[in-house]
Amino acid sequence: MITVTGQCVAAFVFGTTVGVLVQRSRWCNTAALRDAMLFKSYRNTKALLVGMMILTLGFTGFISVGNGNPMRFDVGLNQFVGLFLFGIGMVLAGACTVSSWVKTGEGNIGALWALLFLIIGMFAFSLVWSATYWPPAPATMTGQPNLSGLQFGFADALTLQQKTGIPAIAFGLVQFAALFGLYRAILRKERAMQGARGQVPSATRHSPSRTEAAVPESAVGAAMTAGGGVSGSLQEEA
Amino acid sequence: MELFKKTLDPIVALAIIALLDVFLFLIVGAWTVGGGETMIAGLVAKYVLGAKTLARIPFWRLVFTPTWAYWKIYISLGMGFGAFVAAVLSKEFYWRVPRHLSEWVMITIGGLLMGIGIRMSFVCNVSTFFGLTPEMNLGGYLAVSGIVAGAWVGSLIYKTVLEA
Repeated sequence: MITVTGQCVAAFVFGTTVGVLVQRSRWCNTAALRDAMLFKSYRNTKALLVGMMILTLGFTGFISVGNGNPMRFDVGLNQFVGLFLFGIGMVLAGACTVSSWVKTGEGNIGALWALLFLIIGMFAFSLVWSATYWPPAPATMTGQPNLSGLQFGFADALTLQQKTGIPAIAFGLVQFAALFGLYRAILRKERAMQGARGQVPSATRHSPSRTEAAVPESAVGAAMTAGGGVSGSLQEEA
Repeated sequence: MELFKKTLDPIVALAIIALLDVFLFLIVGAWTVGGGETMIAGLVAKYVLGAKTLARIPFWRLVFTPTWAYWKIYISLGMGFGAFVAAVLSKEFYWRVPRHLSEWVMITIGGLLMGIGIRMSFVCNVSTFFGLTPEMNLGGYLAVSGIVAGAWVGSLIYKTVLEA
């Protein structure tokens, strides 16, 4: 059993490594969704999918043999609504939870401002929660449906394994295949786009610059004149 | 060092992060950021309002009692520290300040929405993509649906602002 200090040290070492890797790769979760939708650019989306594929195999593999610490969250409509608001917010701010910290570490005042208001938003909702006690806090989740709280119980690879007797990794392989199919579809789309343009893919031609990594070239000019959240301000300095 | 001279392929970066996340999952729990940020919000509120005032707010008494001994805080602080070190070593650290009022407004609204969204859902984008969904939690699929729909709406707003 790891001590509290050990947990904090492990978390800091992990976070520091993530900070270095994300800063050096310019990976951004916001760009993984926004750029795919707005600009048909999939550099960050492909990396997100690769990460999820590895994690699916890793988590379900260890769950199969009784190891690991899975999150225990009841399924609730609040997860859809909350992440819907989050999705709008991260595109407007031009940064997600990860890139806010990483860009702040790079000296981006806009990212620091986003973090400040993220904290204010959290505090504001803590007041709402204190008045309504909704959604149910994790400590009060039962794993059973609670329709008055818009909660539908708990279900994940571990519960599937327990109910069916089939190892969690089998379900993990199905999810891995689905994610891999999506990854292959993106590669096909990129090849089709390259064929239409008669160009070599940027990912193989050269390492992306800071500007390309933040937002594709088509958006840079517009962002520089109209602004575009944290990434917009980042482009201006490029 | 070569790492600090050229941009790293994000697929390589995310593959390494995913392997490390599996290790973290084994010893303490999967990578998440929203929980640590909530605790930081509680610690800031405790400093600003005082412990007695904060304890009158049920959320901070029942759900997140502010403490520095919460491992998730250190993931967030580590990410900022790691990025700072990497930026300095690669000579990419410099102050960047949004120049247009529209940027400040979008960042402010975006930050508020992210904070409200995390607390409403009890998960963030990281725990959605790198925790719940790889664990095949049904809530992860709901959260992915929500964040994709939100990013689509946000992209429409973003595009409108860019074209204005």
